[in-house]
Amino acid sequence: MNRSDKIFIAFVLVCALVLYGTMQWFVSSSTTGKTEAVVTYKDKEVLRIDMTKNTSYTVTGTLGDVIIEVKDAQIRVEKETSPYHLCSVQGWVKYANVPIVCLPNHIVILIHSVSVDPNQEDTTVK
Amino acid sequence: MKSTRSKTRRLSLLTMLLAMSILLHMMEPSLPIPIPGVKLGLANIIGLITLYLFGIEEMFTVNIMRVLIASLLRGIIFGTGFWLSLSGVLLSSTMVIILRRYTKMSIIGLSVASATFHCLGQIAIICYLNSTWLMIYWLPIMWVTAVPTGILTGTLAFQVLKRLTKGVAL
Repeated sequence: MNRSDKIFIAFVLVCALVLYGTMQWFVSSSTTGKTEAVVTYKDKEVLRIDMTKNTSYTVTGTLGDVIIEVKDAQIRVEKETSPYHLCSVQGWVKYANVPIVCLPNHIVILIHSVSVDPNQEDTTVK
Repeated sequence: MKSTRSKTRRLSLLTMLLAMSILLHMMEPSLPIPIPGVKLGLANIIGLITLYLFGIEEMFTVNIMRVLIASLLRGIIFGTGFWLSLSGVLLSSTMVIILRRYTKMSIIGLSVASATFHCLGQIAIICYLNSTWLMIYWLPIMWVTAVPTGILTGTLAFQVLKRLTKGVAL
């Protein structure tokens, strides 16, 4: 190994270190740690819920009002008008990769959080 | 007559090198490496030997034919794995040629460069295929592992060439 090789190897290692540091900084700055739930109606955001406050919210869906409840950093659909009530049967949700979908009302609730359910896949590539 | 014999000898040697590189390329996934996505890059040894024994054009031919034939034999041609290998080989071969021409790097340094740019090419195509640039996160780890694997393959290529070309400076 000559001097040029050593310079190149040092350059690669420095680049790796800089890239790793940049990526770590980017990830830590983009994830604030604040947990929020975003409620969308027909793909448009209608409500942003702070998951730290225990309270109830009402949004209007296609078939009527959808009552959303937040308790202990968990969220659920408490009451809604739909044929099978699947989203209220789903119960409490606290992970970012578990959405609540109320299809008859065109309402989707997504948690924006750092914590992810380890038992579920976090992404799907088609 | 002598020219024909020389051409035949050259063709035979290149074919043997190609066969060896295909063999190394195909047996490599079965080697147990504890870090996912990391390979030793043993087929790179043959690419470097071809570069030093024959030249740029032959190295490109052997490397590209190796990816094509090995992917065909493994049944993954035009699949994700194929495009990953091809992008890595194209970028690494190009960069090795440029570095050999414009720097004074030895075969070991060129091997490290080849491993480094192979990783870069693969990550670039993964980012393109998955439509996410976040796969770059894996690049520093691959680069750090590319240094020892590059030194290993470069040393092996150097030892082989030393025995094949006695007295020729590498």
